[in-house]
Amino acid sequence: MSSREKIMAAVKANQPEEVPLPDVPAFTGDGSLEKFITILEGIGGKVVPIRGVTHLEVVVQELFPTDYRIASTMMASNVPVDSQTPIEVLAAVDLAVLRGEFGVAENGTIWLPEVNMLNRALPMITQHLVLVLDHEQIVPTMHQAYARLGSVGDYGIFLAGPSKTADIEQSLVIGAHGARSLTVLLV
Amino acid sequence: MSHSQRSDIFLLDADRTTWHDETLWFVRQKRDKAVYALPEFQDLRELASQIKNHTLSKLDFYLAQFEEAAKRNGVQVHWAADAAEHNSIVLGLIKKHGATRVVKSKSMLTEECHLNPHLIKNGIEVIDTDLGERIIQMREEAPSHVVLPAIHLKKEDVGDTFHIHLGTAKGNNDPQQLTEAARQHLREKFLAGEVAISGVNFAIAETGSVVVCTNEGNADLGVNLAKVHIACMGMEKLIPRLSDLSVFTRVLTRSATGQPVTTYTSHFTKPAPGKEMHIVIVDNGRTKQLGRPDFRASLKCIRCGACMNTCPVYRRSGGHSYDFTIPGPIGAILSPNIDMRKHASLPFASTLCGSCTDVCPVKIDIHTQLYKWRQVLAAEGEIPASKKWSMRLLSSVLSRPGMYGLGGKVARQGLRFLPHGLTHAKGYNPWAIARELPEPPKQSFREWYAQQQKNS
Repeated sequence: MSSREKIMAAVKANQPEEVPLPDVPAFTGDGSLEKFITILEGIGGKVVPIRGVTHLEVVVQELFPTDYRIASTMMASNVPVDSQTPIEVLAAVDLAVLRGEFGVAENGTIWLPEVNMLNRALPMITQHLVLVLDHEQIVPTMHQAYARLGSVGDYGIFLAGPSKTADIEQSLVIGAHGARSLTVLLV
Repeated sequence: MSHSQRSDIFLLDADRTTWHDETLWFVRQKRDKAVYALPEFQDLRELASQIKNHTLSKLDFYLAQFEEAAKRNGVQVHWAADAAEHNSIVLGLIKKHGATRVVKSKSMLTEECHLNPHLIKNGIEVIDTDLGERIIQMREEAPSHVVLPAIHLKKEDVGDTFHIHLGTAKGNNDPQQLTEAARQHLREKFLAGEVAISGVNFAIAETGSVVVCTNEGNADLGVNLAKVHIACMGMEKLIPRLSDLSVFTRVLTRSATGQPVTTYTSHFTKPAPGKEMHIVIVDNGRTKQLGRPDFRASLKCIRCGACMNTCPVYRRSGGHSYDFTIPGPIGAILSPNIDMRKHASLPFASTLCGSCTDVCPVKIDIHTQLYKWRQVLAAEGEIPASKKWSMRLLSSVLSRPGMYGLGGKVARQGLRFLPHGLTHAKGYNPWAIARELPEPPKQSFREWYAQQQKNS
């Protein structure tokens, strides 16, 4: 008997009598932009409203040094990245400017699907990350978030702020292994 | 050694014990703040509990559904009956790819299976990439908490460790600078990683996806740079629907650290083009636990660590005193299923105050199970002779009113006249090691009551 068969037989023999799967009620909450911004700033994200995508390059130039190596789906960039880009090239990216799909007000998280990433590793390997988000695309809670998604695609992340750790004496340090900073540009 | 003997070692450093106690209580308070801010939190706990109960009651169905969906996604699914099989599957996959450099993100399951020693013995370099796990890996220690693996260490310890292993300046104990040193060191490892191993927080039966939650981003960075991703999961990680994640992502981190959500909640469904993804589903005693009606609810655990942060015993004895992969109250009910004799003292490492049960986001009746394990252990003769005989003696006294009355009289007189050194002798009265016995009353309640009746 294979391990699969052995395990399945033991599960069948030992699992309790079936109990029903509950329906999850449509909990809702404050879905305001203000709430989203407050929570996101509270977890280390920076929020900058901009007047439109046409202003993107100017704003990025103001926020970041001009010699940064930038990869982006949203604006002119100097590091072309796709799914086959070699690791050394990815590792040299200073800034990635990508589009976030929607934000969740209760926890400041932003849905970033693979199609918006250029390369699966880019949102983590870049030193700094900018997500461009439509200020009208905010849902109140994770219930609306998953309902809206329907499918998570091949790979996707709910991203809430910059990479961080508190593994040394519970001291919060921003910039563990992923992006050192997250800036959300609201259009 | 028993839990209390190992606790003695931890308690030798009183300042550190106090720090440990207060730090974890602070985490518990952050949890409270996050939880109280959410009016529906208790409803979410109930839903999380019911979803897990349901999943366990149809686990065969969901395992099959998950496997089928994962295979459709181009993911290879492996089944391991025990730790040894898990380790050999993982090693086999690494060898098949001719790889020697492995990066691993947090996975309590691989700790449970002792995967690292197995890989290292076979010539594989395996690097834990979670900062806390990397620290303890360098120190050759086990994690002392499921969410905060290095919580038993002070920044001076980390500074010393990094000085030795990463060449940071001696005496540099600044968490910011130490984290930066680890970032640089681990980045090299990430870039060189050929195979990435991750744990699994949730496995979605309907989509075949695995969900991994981290704050550091180490799972995503490792997996997305390596050619092969091996996700290792205990079979109880399943949940039926994608929408169920809304419930679990809302309770997990609030319960764990008081954060509204982890920084990265990552959904891995299909391997990237040209890459491979494997999922290893592990039993290792879980089907046995599923067959124990009193204890199967322990399989609902989502490893948030809330029961540890709140436990008055854990906070003052440290994770290593449990000598089990999962410490704290939840570890004390999981461990006897794995090895009853070895872990016999753990269900007694509790005051049965019930705080663990109160904070558990999936409503596991932890303190009730601790109590029930004690019954099982006593019936199996797995309690120390001192406890066994004293309990027998007590039981024979308590079941005979005459004996009880006499015993009380003797004790009240004895405490008055016997020398302190005798009544508080550590050898046979461990209760008095750090406590004073009370001043004995002149008469017992029964004597007083009889007197009142006579007088009235």
